[in-house]
Amino acid sequence: MKQIANVAALPGIVGRSVGLPDVHSGYGFAIGNMAAFDMDNPKAVVSPGGVGFDINCGVRLLRTNLMENDVKPIKEQLAQSMFDHIPVGVGSKGIIPMTARDLEEALEMGMDWSLREGYIWAEDKEHCEEYGRMAQADPAKVSMRAKKRGLPQLGTLGAGNHYAEIQVVDEIYDKWAASKMGIEEKGQVCVMIHSGSRGFGHQVATDALVAMEKAMKRDGIDTNDRQLACARINSPEGQDYLKSMAAAANFAWVNRSSMTFLSRQAFAKMFQTSPDDLDMHVIYDVSHNIAKIEQHWVEGKLRTLLVHRKGSTRAFPPHHPLIPVDYQLTGQPVLIGGTMGTCSYVLTGTEQGMMETFGSTCHGAGRALSRAKSRRNLDYTDVLNRLEQQVEHVVLEPLGHICGCVGTGTIILEDTILGGLERMGQMVTQQLHVG
Amino acid sequence: MKVPALRCQLLFLFVFSTGQRSGATRAAHREVEFYRSQPKTMEFTPEELELPPCKYEYLDHPADVQLHAWGDNLTECFEQVAVAMYGYMTEIDKVEILDKQEIEVSSDDMQGLLFQFLDECLFVFSAEPFLIARKVVITEFDKEAFTIKATLYGEEFDLAKHPQGTEVKAITYASMQIYDNPGQHELFVIIDI
Repeated sequence: MKQIANVAALPGIVGRSVGLPDVHSGYGFAIGNMAAFDMDNPKAVVSPGGVGFDINCGVRLLRTNLMENDVKPIKEQLAQSMFDHIPVGVGSKGIIPMTARDLEEALEMGMDWSLREGYIWAEDKEHCEEYGRMAQADPAKVSMRAKKRGLPQLGTLGAGNHYAEIQVVDEIYDKWAASKMGIEEKGQVCVMIHSGSRGFGHQVATDALVAMEKAMKRDGIDTNDRQLACARINSPEGQDYLKSMAAAANFAWVNRSSMTFLSRQAFAKMFQTSPDDLDMHVIYDVSHNIAKIEQHWVEGKLRTLLVHRKGSTRAFPPHHPLIPVDYQLTGQPVLIGGTMGTCSYVLTGTEQGMMETFGSTCHGAGRALSRAKSRRNLDYTDVLNRLEQQVEHVVLEPLGHICGCVGTGTIILEDTILGGLERMGQMVTQQLHVG
Repeated sequence: MKVPALRCQLLFLFVFSTGQRSGATRAAHREVEFYRSQPKTMEFTPEELELPPCKYEYLDHPADVQLHAWGDNLTECFEQVAVAMYGYMTEIDKVEILDKQEIEVSSDDMQGLLFQFLDECLFVFSAEPFLIARKVVITEFDKEAFTIKATLYGEEFDLAKHPQGTEVKAITYASMQIYDNPGQHELFVIIDI
C-alpha cells in the first residue's frame, strides 16, 4: 500500500493512484498499479517503474475451430508439439532467423515487420493494442546492451509466469460478445500466449533507471523510494525512455507474433491441415506493462494523459475510437491470464471502468505464497495429482516452477475476478487450460 | 596445449612433404585429426580451478528472490553473490571451468556498484558469450572510486548439459543492504525473476 501512496505523491499525477484488485508489491510501483500523468504539466514525470521491467508483457488469445473432443485424444502429442516449436526457459534461444539489421527494423516497425516477413496475417494487426506498433519507437535510443540481449531471445517464451497454453472454453457468460470475438461454444479450443519483451525490455528498463537516477539529482526531483526513479516527461531522459520503451513494446509484439506463428505451425502439423482452415485468428492482444499517451475526460475536460499501467490491462468501453472496428459494439476484449490450475478470463471494457480507472483493470496474478514457500509447503506429488485431475496432462517442466505457479495463483485469482471485477469489466468467458 | 600443438604441426608438414601414404603417415594423419578435433580449451592453473566454499543463500520473497552473501571481506561478498545469481539459473555444480571472461564496472556509490556488477554478470550470460560462471574472482576493487575488475570462470551455457533453473530478469535496488564493518561483511540484494 505504501508503494501506491508513494506513487500518488509523484509530481503531475492526475486523479488517483489506483491499485487494481490483484495488486502486490513490486519495484517502485506496485504490480497492479495504474497512474496517469498530465502531459501538459511541465512538472509531470514518467517512471520506468510504472511500466515494469518486462515492458509490454501481455497476453494474446487465438481462437480455433477445434473442440475439446478433437483435441483430447492427441492432447499429449499436441502439448509436446507446442513445446518443441516454442523455445522456453532459461538460456533458450529463438529459432526464427534474425540478424542485427532485422532486429533494428523489427524494433521500429513492430508487427508491420512480422507482416512483411510473412509471420502473421494482416488481420492480426487489427486485433492488437496499438495495432502492434508504437510509432514513437526509436531503435537509436536503445542501448547496444539491450539489443545484444534481445537478439538471441526474439521468438522465445521466457520463463517464470510466462506460458503458451491450450485452453478450452469452460463457461460463456455473454454469448453475443463472445461470438463477436469468434468464440461460439463451450468446449471450443483456444491458445493463450503470455509473454513480454524478454531480456530486451529488462535491459531497457534497467538502463532507463540508471539514467533517470542521474537526471533526478540534476533536476531536483525527490521521491520516497530509490526504485521510483522518474524524469520529467519532456526532459531528454524522459523522452528517450518513452522512445526506447516503445521499441521494447514493438519487440514484445513481434515476439508474441512469432509465437503465434509457431503455435499455428504446431497445430497445423498436428491436424494435418493449415492454420487458415483452423481459423486460428487472433482474438485480441493486450498489454499489461506499458505507458500510453491517451485522452481521458477529467472533471469535464478532455486531457492528454500519460497512463502508466503496471500489471494492469487496458479496458476500453464500446465506441472508443482506439479499439478495433470489430469490437466497437462490444467494447475492448480484456484478457486475464490464469496460472496453472486456475482459469483464464475474457472480459470486455466498461464505461464505468473508463471513468474510475482511466480504463484499466487487473492482469491476473497476485501471490498468496512466495514461490520458494510454496515449493516447500506443497508436496510436488500433491500438486501433480491435483493438476492431473483438472487437466489430465502436464508437460513436465522443472518441478519447482510448477509448484510455484499453482500454489500461489489459486485463491487470489478466483476472488479477484468474481469479487471485484463486475464494475471494471464484464465477464465474457471463462477458460480452463488443457495443456 | 603447447607441446602437442607443435608436434602435430610438425607431423602435418611431414605428411604433406612426402606425399605418400605409408603405414606411418596414416598413423600420423590420424594423430593430426585427433588433435584437430579436440575442443579448444583454455589452460587454467590449479589455483584458478580451485572452487571457493559456498558463502551464499537464497531468502524468501513474495514475488522474487533475495540473495544473501557473506565473506571475510566485501570483495568476497561480491564474488559470492555473483555465483549465487548464476546458481539460481542452473545447477551450479554442473558448470565446469572451461572458459573465462573479464569484466569491468563502475558507479557513483556502493549500491550502484553492486547493481552494475550483477547487471554485467547477467549480461555476460544473456548475450555473447552466454557464459555461466562457476567462480568469480575480483582482481581490483576500488572502494573510493567505486570500480571493480573481475574475471568470471565458467563455460558457455548449454541446454543439453545445464538444467534450466529460474530466469533472472533484472537486478533491483529493493531492500538492498551492504555491510562492510569489522566482523560483519555481508550483503542482501533482490533479483527480479
